[in-house]
Formats: sequence, structure tokens, C-alpha cells
Amino acid sequence: MKTDDLVTLLASDAGPVERAGFARATGLTAFAGLAACAASVLLMFGPRLDLAAALATPPVLAKFALGASVAGLALIAFQRSLRPGRAAAGVLALVLLPVVIVLAWALAVLTMQPMPAWPALVLGRSWSVCLVLVPLYAVLPLAALFVLARRGAPVRPRLTGLAAGVGAAGLATLAYALHCPEDAVPFLATWYPLAMAVAGGIGALAGPRLLRW
Amino acid sequence: MSLDDFEAVLHPAFMAGLEGDAAAYRRFLDLIGGRLRGFLRGHLARAGLASAEEAEDVLQETLLALHLSRHTYDPTVPVSAWAHAIARYKLIDHLRRSGRHRGHLPIEDEALSQPEPGGAASDARLDVERALAALPERTRALIDRVKLQGGSIAEAAQAAGMTETAAKVALHRGLKAMAKILTRRGTRTP
Repeated sequence: MKTDDLVTLLASDAGPVERAGFARATGLTAFAGLAACAASVLLMFGPRLDLAAALATPPVLAKFALGASVAGLALIAFQRSLRPGRAAAGVLALVLLPVVIVLAWALAVLTMQPMPAWPALVLGRSWSVCLVLVPLYAVLPLAALFVLARRGAPVRPRLTGLAAGVGAAGLATLAYALHCPEDAVPFLATWYPLAMAVAGGIGALAGPRLLRW
Repeated sequence: MSLDDFEAVLHPAFMAGLEGDAAAYRRFLDLIGGRLRGFLRGHLARAGLASAEEAEDVLQETLLALHLSRHTYDPTVPVSAWAHAIARYKLIDHLRRSGRHRGHLPIEDEALSQPEPGGAASDARLDVERALAALPERTRALIDRVKLQGGSIAEAAQAAGMTETAAKVALHRGLKAMAKILTRRGTRTP
């Protein structure tokens, strides 16, 4: 077919283009993903028993703040990465900021404690549970974000996958914090970012394979 | 034409096209097609592949992708940058698919700002034609009619015995299916 004929065909399919739905889609998908994560955490494990009392304590608020800021930044990057010509990597790199803040806080906590207390503060009682469950819960929003990404135009699919994975882990962190009984800052500063990195890695590996278009 | 001047004519045509103005949209496709032809030929030549037909194939796939991705356009970005990012993706994908994208191919982002001599359209190889051939008979016939009628859906619909609305839907689905077939072609893993 001649390019001119193809252009004729494309022009005959001109029609008005609806763009508002796509602009809202990431927020809606994230909200639905968060709701699904929170519902499954509460149904499978239930909230931590002292949730009402713990909700306003600094470690629990820190988990929410970490999850919300990482999810927010990564999802902005994700959304931009579906729009060719928009830079997304810079926003995604900003997720390091909240991570560095909790790490600094954790170091400050550790230096005020005797060294023999450190392993208990870092490992807690459930580090492996956190490391497995957060990426596992992240699969729910991650799958939804990948479905959405196929409606966009991801010209850098690895970046899109990475942002989707990190953003999904941020949402899963928000949900898992409802259950997670650990209150030591060194614990959350270690395992939550690691779990986010795992989910990000899964997204980055899957992106180029699943998001070809 | 400098990139700013180019954007100054491209942007209004594209925006009017988004509102459904077919003539303006056609102007956008012609403008961006000419510009991208030069871009693709230049890069293929630098990769040691100076085949005008191959460039035309990637151009056609890119135009189809631009058309089906119009909803992803972000108004804060120049239309030329949006189109260029998609062309770049399709070029890398094309090279990778044919096993010739080894590692780093320098496709700098500013490439569009120095327009390469585009030259006249050349014949494509058969990629789009093959994708068309893989469509259901009814859709293919409709697309052929639209092509023959010079883009008039109303006349093509009448000739095919369809309502105009049905023809519009079928044409859009057909273009989407062609894009999907082009994406899947030549992948090493099924």
C-alpha cells in the first residue's frame, strides 16, 4: 500500500478523540488497586489488633507516608511514561527521597541503641512476611496498571514497568500497614524499600515483554 | 523549516484533527509523514540500511501507531516531540525485531530538530499489505473501498451495503487489528 493511501485511510477515520478518560485512568486504577489490596489484607490477616491506638503513632504514620509518597510519585511517572515525549524518569527517581528519609531516621534510632539490640530492631519478628507479602499484594495493582499501560503508548516499556511495580508496591505498603505489627523504624526502613525494589524489578522485567505495541 | 516553525503549523492541524476535522488531520499526517520519512531514512542509512522501502515500512507502521495513540498526546509536549518519540520506538522495535539492533543505536532525541532531506515517498515493501491481507474478508473489502473512494466512508459504506456508522466502526477496528498484526510479525517468541 502506498503511504498516501494509508494516510487517506487514517484521515477517513479522523473523528473526535476522547482524551479525558485516559487522563483519569491511572488515578482510578490506583484507587481500585488500593481498595483491592486493603480488602484482601483485612480479609486474610485482619487489621493489627491495636490498630485504633497505633494509627496515630509515628512508625505507623511513617509507613503510610512512605507508601503514599512512593505510590504517588511512581504513579505520576507511570502515567507520564504512557505519553510519548513526556519525561518520566526524573519523577520516578524522586521516590528515593522518602526512602532516604526513613533510612536516615532508622540510622538515628540505631545509633541511640546499644549494638546488641540492633538485630531485633532491624529484623523484627516478621521481616520475611513483609518481604513476601508486599510484593505479592502489589501483583493486584500491578496487573491492573499493565492492562492500563496497553491502552497508552509506552515508548520506554522498561521504565513503565518499573514505575508500575514501584507504584503498586507503594499501594501494597499502604494496605499491609493496616496489618503489619512491627513498629521499629529500622524494620520499616529496611524491608519496605526492599519489597518495593522487588516489585519494581518484577515490573521492569515484565515491561518490555508484556508492553510491546 | 526550523522545528519551531514546523511545530507552529503542525500543532494547530493536529489539534483540529483531535476535534474531528478530517482535512486538518490529513494535513497533519502529510506534514509529519514527510518529516519522519527523512528521520527514518537518515537513521536506517546510518545503521547501514539504506533501503528506502524499509524506511517506508517503518513510516507506515509509525503513522498507524500515531493514529491509534492520539489519546496519549499530552498538550504540554510539542506534537513533533510526541510523534518523534513514537517513531523512535517503532524504529528501534523494527531493528530489534529483525535482529539488527545490537546494543546501542544512537538515536538522539534532538534528531528531529535537524530535518533530513525526506525525498519523495517510495514504495513500501509489503508489511502493511500483508497485515491488510490477514484481516477478515469483509473488513478488507471495506478498507479497499474507502481507499478507492478517496477516503469517503459514506460512499464506501453504501457500496458495501453497510450503514455509515457500522462502516466507521469496522474501519477503526480494522486499523487496530492491522497495527496488532504488525506488532506481532517477526517476533522470535510467539
